[in-house]
Amino acid sequence: MNDHRVYTDRDIHLALDGELLEDERAAFARWLEDNPPMKAVSERYAADRELLRDALAPVADEPLPARFAGFSEAGADMRKVPRRAPWWRAAAAAAIFVAGGAAGYFYGMLRAEQSVSSVLRIADDAVAAHVIFAAEKLHVVEVAADQKDHLVGWLSKRLGTRLQAPDLEREGFRLIGGRLLASGDAPAAQFMYENPEGARISLYVTHCAPAAETGFRLYEHEGARTFYWLDEGFGYAVAGSMPEDMLLRIANASYRQLLSGQDPSG
Amino acid sequence: MEEKKQAILAEIPNLRRYARALLRDPDAADDLVQDCLERALSRLDNWQTGESPRRWLFTVMHHLFIDEKRRARRRGRTLVESPAGNEDAAVAPVQLDVLASRDVLDALQGISADRRAALLLVAVEGLSYAQAATVLEIPTGTLMSRIARGREELRVLLDRARRRKSIRVVEK
Repeated sequence: MNDHRVYTDRDIHLALDGELLEDERAAFARWLEDNPPMKAVSERYAADRELLRDALAPVADEPLPARFAGFSEAGADMRKVPRRAPWWRAAAAAAIFVAGGAAGYFYGMLRAEQSVSSVLRIADDAVAAHVIFAAEKLHVVEVAADQKDHLVGWLSKRLGTRLQAPDLEREGFRLIGGRLLASGDAPAAQFMYENPEGARISLYVTHCAPAAETGFRLYEHEGARTFYWLDEGFGYAVAGSMPEDMLLRIANASYRQLLSGQDPSG
Repeated sequence: MEEKKQAILAEIPNLRRYARALLRDPDAADDLVQDCLERALSRLDNWQTGESPRRWLFTVMHHLFIDEKRRARRRGRTLVESPAGNEDAAVAPVQLDVLASRDVLDALQGISADRRAALLLVAVEGLSYAQAATVLEIPTGTLMSRIARGREELRVLLDRARRRKSIRVVEK
């Protein structure tokens, strides 16, 4: 009856969480069998959940601390129990960690329909392209920054959007040029920047599913990392091998400039 | 009344587990549980007959959690500095599945609190989407996207934790 239903990665979550309708389960299981990448995602999420449950199980099983034991003798006044620092102090510390690591979660969401693997592919491609070309001495770029207008115009034309190379001078990075790359069967643009110490970062732009939108996400691979985000049909990734906080600052600056550049009035 | 108290009491282990996962720090988590129990006890009348004690208590705790998170955010702004960017970038990652509970709980803290709460309520505490959406006072669709994003972030964070772990092992 539900054989014609189209399953997506959204159903992976529904299935894991016991929210898939009874009469859809068999068809979903067949769909998984026919989609090894989705099956892998499903198994990975299930394994992560086991890790979580195992890590937390001891908390529920351990004997209650004295302050709660007192409560069980009905009538004991818990207000008398002395405390250490207020619990929100730890929450504040956690918030700082989160704010630092993900200062860019300002916007948006990854639509549940957006395939997990295609989003990660963009990040992965960006990191790979960075690692390969940032290591180049002679041919780090295809078109150098002294022909910036030509470079930006050419890449914009190939990607079919109005690109801009953000100005990262305040972050200490100067545009040295860019190149055209392939991301799957779509074109991708890479702008390369360098600071006076010779450290390089790159901005990678390519197409993605039109509906996809994310906040900042961090992806790391082989010592390089990228903060990436999806917005209005394009995926952007700022990649480099420097510490996370430094890269985040650059990514934030790029993000702000690209966002204002997209303003139709701009 | 006594029945209600007993029902609340029976939920303490679950409340502690959820609070620990939300806050990481054991003392802070138990303080949150204590606040939650105090508030629940002082408002027993708000607990409607027939409503699951677990859902009600989680709702009470969620309110306390977001109130304090808001306060913490206002206070915390000026303190926000860079997270430790101390990963050794030079070592090739060797994937080793050697995560301890500690690492898993640390990774969990990297997910935004909204997504963390949604994921925990469903994946660990076993609430249905409908129940969790009620506790968090959000539409089911929002809950689902928080869970989806939370899971994906957790996956990435666990991979990072594994990589750090492998770096540590390699360096020995």
